[in-house]
Amino acid sequence: MAGFLQQIIEGLGAGAIYASLALALVLIYQFTGIVNFAQGEMAMFSTYIAWQFVAGGMPFWLALVLTLAVSFAGGMLIERVLIRPVEGAHELTVVIVSVGLFIFVNAAAGWIWTFLIKDFPNPFPGGAIEAGGLTVGFSTLGILAVVGVVMGLLYLLFQHTKIGLGMRAVATNPESARLVGIRVGWTLALGWGLAATVGAVSGILVAPLLFLEPNMMGGVLIYAFAAATLGGFDSPAGAVAGGLIVGVAETLAGAYVGFIGSDLKIGVPLVIILGVLLVRPQGLFGRAAVERV
Amino acid sequence: MTADDFLTVTDLHAGYGEARVLHGVNLSVGRGEICAILGPNGAGKTTLLRALSGMVRVRGAVRLDGADLTRRPPDAVARRGVAHVPEGRGTFMPLTVEENLRLGAFVRRGRGEVEADLERIYGYFPVLRERLRQPAGSLSGGEQQMLAIGRALMLRPRLLLLDEPSLGLAPMVTRELFRIVQTINEQERTTVVVVEQNAHLALDVAGRAHVLETGRIVLSGSAEQIRADEQVAQSYLGYRV
Repeated sequence: MAGFLQQIIEGLGAGAIYASLALALVLIYQFTGIVNFAQGEMAMFSTYIAWQFVAGGMPFWLALVLTLAVSFAGGMLIERVLIRPVEGAHELTVVIVSVGLFIFVNAAAGWIWTFLIKDFPNPFPGGAIEAGGLTVGFSTLGILAVVGVVMGLLYLLFQHTKIGLGMRAVATNPESARLVGIRVGWTLALGWGLAATVGAVSGILVAPLLFLEPNMMGGVLIYAFAAATLGGFDSPAGAVAGGLIVGVAETLAGAYVGFIGSDLKIGVPLVIILGVLLVRPQGLFGRAAVERV
Repeated sequence: MTADDFLTVTDLHAGYGEARVLHGVNLSVGRGEICAILGPNGAGKTTLLRALSGMVRVRGAVRLDGADLTRRPPDAVARRGVAHVPEGRGTFMPLTVEENLRLGAFVRRGRGEVEADLERIYGYFPVLRERLRQPAGSLSGGEQQMLAIGRALMLRPRLLLLDEPSLGLAPMVTRELFRIVQTINEQERTTVVVVEQNAHLALDVAGRAHVLETGRIVLSGSAEQIRADEQVAQSYLGYRV
């Protein structure tokens, strides 16, 4: 039993990382209806920026704050420069732009920092808390805490600030939002900036567990897609719940289902995506597109 | 044109892509007046309102109280005090009634005033107070129209544009809405331009009216003159003469 709980805790730790990247995906999807395939690569690029700061001798937490600020500005810039021109274009056009961005960011990171793997410092102490036969690493606790804080801040922003209300208005009815005087273009850019920031958090959290290299986020992005699909692409809370569920499912499947082991774990999110799309396409927390007219 | 023309529209052309809808509309609306735009389906009534609030590309000129509004984007027009209740009401469906109303005051500063204005709106539409925390999408059609007008009033507009407020509503509800619009116009001196298919109701509250047909104003006059006009009576009011 303790072993089982142990696996769940490990799963939650991994799931929190998927949750934060899924949250970034959902933020952009809500505002622009775009599934941003480049989200993971943007997070990876942010992580390199943090690495560069730390390598330059900066304390980790200062580097983190600066990286988040740079990511926010970078996300807004990407929206203004790359996404704005294709706003309202056919979905496929937008998907191609985001795939192009994926390739570009990946190549740019390789060009600047090479494809050699780098060690990324772990901001959390190495020890663990032991209680009742369970071992919970400070690293896992730290990850859960950081994702919890990010969630809380986003909740406060969306539910309790005027700018958050404006963002929700743009997400639900952009034309009407414009009529009440909201600058919709800037709001969309703000959404991209926020998503880039939240994505950066996921990259910085995952980097110490993996190695920092340009393809680092590929696997995480697939888990994040599974999480967002499971939770519902239009529900930030769903993305987080989805991320945690996917993390736990992946860990349990790896530990208890013999033929899966650690090699086939990557298949778990794909099975989840397929299952959700077949049974409940809007996701656990998503709204089906039905409304009163 | 008189000295007190509040809104003047000069030779306004507008359309969607290749489709031209307005072919040189000229009209003026006096300060504090209710102006009705009548006309059959497809005449360009909705497009005229959309042109006024910057939602479609236009040629010509739109001036509000001397300031040029032509080719300004909708958010800039709103910041100049023009509130537009669009076709379909523009409700933010998943947001609560209160959030919808607060969004109406998005460009305003001064928290205290906004709170006071919420009370004012509940005064006009008591049913909204009962539904504050409900998602706006759960309201009935009439309640949603009240919410839309309430949202527009939260801007403290100098000019209120109403697109077919009667659409899809029971006659009783529509009459009530027009009565409230009239009250608002009288108490707050808000200039109102209302587009309506239901010409009877619109003429009851309007001071002046314009008849739009295939993108041109074909008739203008006081509400009484328009009502008395035999041709209009036959075409739009359904009278037998």
